[in-house]
Amino acid sequence: MAHAVISCLHANLAALEAVLADIDQLGIATITCLGDLVGYGPQPNEVVTLVRERAIPCCQGCWDEDIIEGLNSCECSYPSQLAERRGHLAHQWTADQLSETNKAFLASLPMTLRRDRLLFVHGSPNSQHEYLLPDMDAFAALERVHTADADTLFCGHTHRPYVRELRDGVIRVRVQTVSDQSAAIEREMPLSVRRIINAGSVGEPRHGNTHATYVVHDEATGSVEIRAVPYDLERTCRAIVEAGLPPVFAWRLRHGFEYAERADDASHVCER
Amino acid sequence: MARWALVSGLQGDLDLYEAIQRDLRQLGRVDTLFVLGDLIGPDRDANALLHRLQLPRRGELQPQCLYGWWEDQLLAELGYRGERRADPLRQRFGQAAVEALQQAVDPGRMAWLAALQFGFIELDCALLHGSSADVGDRLGPDSSPLLLLDRLTRMDVNRLFTARSGKQFSVELSGGGIASAVRDLAGERQLQQVVPQRKVIGIGSGLRYTLYDPGSDRIAFRTVGQQAGSRGRGFA
Ligand SMILES: [Zn+2]
Ligand SMILES: [Zn+2]
Repeated sequence: MAHAVISCLHANLAALEAVLADIDQLGIATITCLGDLVGYGPQPNEVVTLVRERAIPCCQGCWDEDIIEGLNSCECSYPSQLAERRGHLAHQWTADQLSETNKAFLASLPMTLRRDRLLFVHGSPNSQHEYLLPDMDAFAALERVHTADADTLFCGHTHRPYVRELRDGVIRVRVQTVSDQSAAIEREMPLSVRRIINAGSVGEPRHGNTHATYVVHDEATGSVEIRAVPYDLERTCRAIVEAGLPPVFAWRLRHGFEYAERADDASHVCER
Repeated sequence: MARWALVSGLQGDLDLYEAIQRDLRQLGRVDTLFVLGDLIGPDRDANALLHRLQLPRRGELQPQCLYGWWEDQLLAELGYRGERRADPLRQRFGQAAVEALQQAVDPGRMAWLAALQFGFIELDCALLHGSSADVGDRLGPDSSPLLLLDRLTRMDVNRLFTARSGKQFSVELSGGGIASAVRDLAGERQLQQVVPQRKVIGIGSGLRYTLYDPGSDRIAFRTVGQQAGSRGRGFA
C-alpha cells in the first residue's frame, strides 16, 4: 500500500494545500508528517490547524521543539551563523503568533513514529537537530538506521529530498584481549540492506527549484517516488512581506535554495 | 619516543595508584600518564588520591586526568550539570551510593573535578572514558563493529581509547566496505566506501592498565605486579 511522507511544512499554507491536493489526487489515504510545521513561513496557525483537521500523525521537528522549549538549542539547530540570526527573528514572530491550542499540539508530538520496520523521525533517531545528508559517511548513516532497529528510516530536516540505499555492507574486525597479537580473533559483521528516505520540504524547499517536495513509498513494491509539486508561491511570498518577516525568506522560496543554509559542519553531532 | 600509560578506575585508591606509579618506574619507558576517569567511587574516601593527582611526588609522572562516569554522577548531583542529577547512579546502586559518593569527596575538591575535561585528542587518538556518544558508553570486545566504527567516525580519529567497560581489548577494523546508491531530483549516483583501518582500545581498570606506543602503534595490556619478563610482547 502506498503512503505519503511530508516534512518541513514551515507555515507555508499554499504549499501544504497543493501537496495535500496532490496526495488526494493520487488516492493515497495514509500520510505521515516528519515535523517542522512552523518556522520561517507566515501561516503557522493555519498550517497547524489544517494538519490537526486532517488528523495527520506527526513527529516533532526542530522548530516545533524550539517553539515549545525556547531557544536553548545547541548551535547545530542552524546550519550556519547567518541562518541562526535570521532563524531567531522568525522564532520570536512564530512564538508570538501561535495560539495556545496549537502550541499544546506541537508540544504533544512524539520524537519518533514507528510502523513495523519503518521509522519516522525529523532529523535523525539521535536528535531532531542532526542532519542526515545524502553523502554523509555510509557507515554512520547505516548506524542510525541499525541502532534504531528499523529497515527504512524516513527523515526530513535537510529540506532536500533523496533516497539512499545502503547495501553489500560488511565490517571485518580483529579482536584482541591479550597483548599477544597472534591470539587475535577475526570476526565479520554482515550489514543488511537499509534505506534512508528524506522527504524533502513542503514549505521551504532547498533543492534548487521552487516546487514543494514530498515522497510516496509503496510498502509492497518498495518503490519510492520523489514528488515535486508547484504551488502558488507568490501568495506565500506576499504573506511573508505583509507579516513583516525577513524578506530573504520570500527570496529563497522564489529560488529554492539559500546559501546561508549550507551546513558549516554537516558532520556535527548534536550532543544535546 | 613518547610512550603512554593509560589508567582508569582508581576509585579513590591511593595504594593502587602508588603501585601503578612504581610499576611505571620499573618499566622506565613511559613518559605520559593518562587517567581516563573514575578517580572517585562510593567505596572509599578519595581525598588523599585527589590530592596526589594534583600534586605528584618527586619522581612520579604527572597524570593528565579526565572525568569518568562516577565524577559525572557526582557533578550532576551537586548541580554542575544543569538540571541533570545522579539518577542513573541512584537507579543502579540506590540512594545510599549517592550519599557515599558525596562523602568520598571534600567540597573543596569539587572545583578541580568540575574543571576536568571529557576527552583528550592526542595525535590521531581520542582518549575518553566512555565514547564520543556518552561518558557512560560501554564499548567492549563484543560491541557491534558498526557501533565502534560510528564512535570513531564521530571523533574523526584513528584510535579511540576507552575505559568504561573496564575491559582490556583491542578491536581493529581490518576490512570490509559498503555500497550505496543515492537518488534525488537530479538523478542517481553510486558511492562505494571501504572500512577505514581504525582501532578501539579498552584500557582496563584498576590494576589492569594499558601501555601504548604511538610511534609504532604497539599496545600492551598490563597488570600491576606482573613479572617484567611476561609483559606483553606487543610492547617489546
Ligand atoms: Zn525544516
Ligand atoms: Zn528541522
